[in-house]
Amino acid sequence: MTTGAVIFAQNNASLDYIKLAVFSAKQLIKHLDIPVSIVTDSPGWLSTGYPEHPFDHVISVDFKDTTQLKAFNDGALSLKKLEWKNFIRDQIYDLSPYDRTLVIDSDYIINSSILKPALSNQYDFQIYKRSMDLADWRPTNEFERINQYSIPFYWGTVFIFEKNEITKALFDLISYIKSNWLYFRNLYSIESTTFRNDFAFSIAIHIMNGKTNGGFAIELPGKMIYTKDKDFLISMEDTTMRFLVEKKDYHGEYTLTKTQDLDVHVMNKLSLSRYIDGGIGV
Amino acid sequence: MSKGFVVFAQNTKTVDYVRQAYALALSIKYTQKEVANISIITNDEIPKKYRKAFDQIIPIPWFDKKGDSRYATEHRWKVFHVTPYDETIVLDTDMLLLEDVNVWWDYCSNHDVRFCNRIKNYKLDIVLDPVSRKTFIANNLTSPYCALHYFKKSDYALEFYKTLEFVCKNWEWCWTNFAPKQYQNACSMDLAIAVTIEIMLAHDTVLDNLNPLEFIHMRGSIQGWSNTQASWRNTVTHVLNSKGDLVVGNIKQSKLFHYIEKEFLTEDIITRLEELNGQA
Repeated sequence: MTTGAVIFAQNNASLDYIKLAVFSAKQLIKHLDIPVSIVTDSPGWLSTGYPEHPFDHVISVDFKDTTQLKAFNDGALSLKKLEWKNFIRDQIYDLSPYDRTLVIDSDYIINSSILKPALSNQYDFQIYKRSMDLADWRPTNEFERINQYSIPFYWGTVFIFEKNEITKALFDLISYIKSNWLYFRNLYSIESTTFRNDFAFSIAIHIMNGKTNGGFAIELPGKMIYTKDKDFLISMEDTTMRFLVEKKDYHGEYTLTKTQDLDVHVMNKLSLSRYIDGGIGV
Repeated sequence: MSKGFVVFAQNTKTVDYVRQAYALALSIKYTQKEVANISIITNDEIPKKYRKAFDQIIPIPWFDKKGDSRYATEHRWKVFHVTPYDETIVLDTDMLLLEDVNVWWDYCSNHDVRFCNRIKNYKLDIVLDPVSRKTFIANNLTSPYCALHYFKKSDYALEFYKTLEFVCKNWEWCWTNFAPKQYQNACSMDLAIAVTIEIMLAHDTVLDNLNPLEFIHMRGSIQGWSNTQASWRNTVTHVLNSKGDLVVGNIKQSKLFHYIEKEFLTEDIITRLEELNGQA
């Protein structure tokens, strides 16, 4: 039984996801001590730009232009619409070289070994449902259910699966949902037209649960801790991360927050990118 | 020991409770593997088509006038005295049973009386109901649901129902003494039971947290919506499929479903229930 991690990285014109993936992979290896592979449509850029990369396997996928745009904040005062390539997550079953795979987004920064026990669990599929915003005043409804009328929300950001017939069925189902997104979007009253893996995973898990509360998806240890793209990462030292998080009622002002020994989903990828480049992320 | 479900049905000018009871009976016949007996207590006429769904049709005893109170509940304490079963689960008529609930009988058989004190919304979240339970909260009362409860013929249950009779007949005095805050101007059965529990100090005898009795309550205010609509049916879709699964908002409903709105019970729903029972 082989165990390893996979990170997806598909660059767009404004953001070097491969840079984020290299950084994220190093953190993952440091704390979880498992091999990490990358799935990318830009293997050339990986070998040119990051020849010392830590990846066990480089899994190449076809480069496809996407018309899907997503609004990314960069702090509370800046908003950009960027290309968003998130259409191959469902292929992970076939792409992963491991029997048991931890999949993380390139903006998920591992700073602890909390996921280690989950890597030796015998469950088919583990994922985060519970989450915590570092800005504790912000509403969290959008991460509790896919909308107020509908089903529980699961984070497609981090999950662990074991290859077997059941998880094959799950990823086939996610592919089916993706292929028929317009239908499922309407069926589940999702307002946003943008395809989101979180939603596709949530719908697929709901169906795998027989459309009721079931135990198909086991929750990963702890909670998905996140900062939104309206916040900034400003420093990282050993396992301590410092953020400027959006201040309540003061648009464009921030509160300094610190995490220690916590894995954090840093949604402001532009800030994370600047930090990796040696800046302070602001 | 005979076991069965009992419903109380008193038609009003606007609601055909007997028809609701018929739909509930069909759902019981379809879903229950061991205990599928159901009797109806009513003084209303039962259409011929409905009769075969019920084991017994029992007239409301000691009946001197048709229920003219706000909730028409003043006769419901009589259920203990007329049930044909040794062990009875009492249900409201505007409910559908969606799964086998034999485990309820297994659990309740160890007790004399058990009330449901836990409800869920259609998202299957356990919820509190602070809007309609203001009086209970203000007076620090327990929160039993008469819509689903169990009793067996026993001395303790008889004592409980005699006390409940007293409360129903003297509800103004009881409210004044046990529920003076957020005073209710009518006799609601749930409040009468909560007061009975106070009078008998029966908190631990008829309620407990392990109790498996629960149902899905479709009151709009507990569905977790930012804007509560007049009708839940205008907010989320629902379908009763050919397997008997009731899916609301894409979520398969479990066990017992309390639909509340009489308009939910369309002819299509009745027909589907009849089909499930091989009556099509």
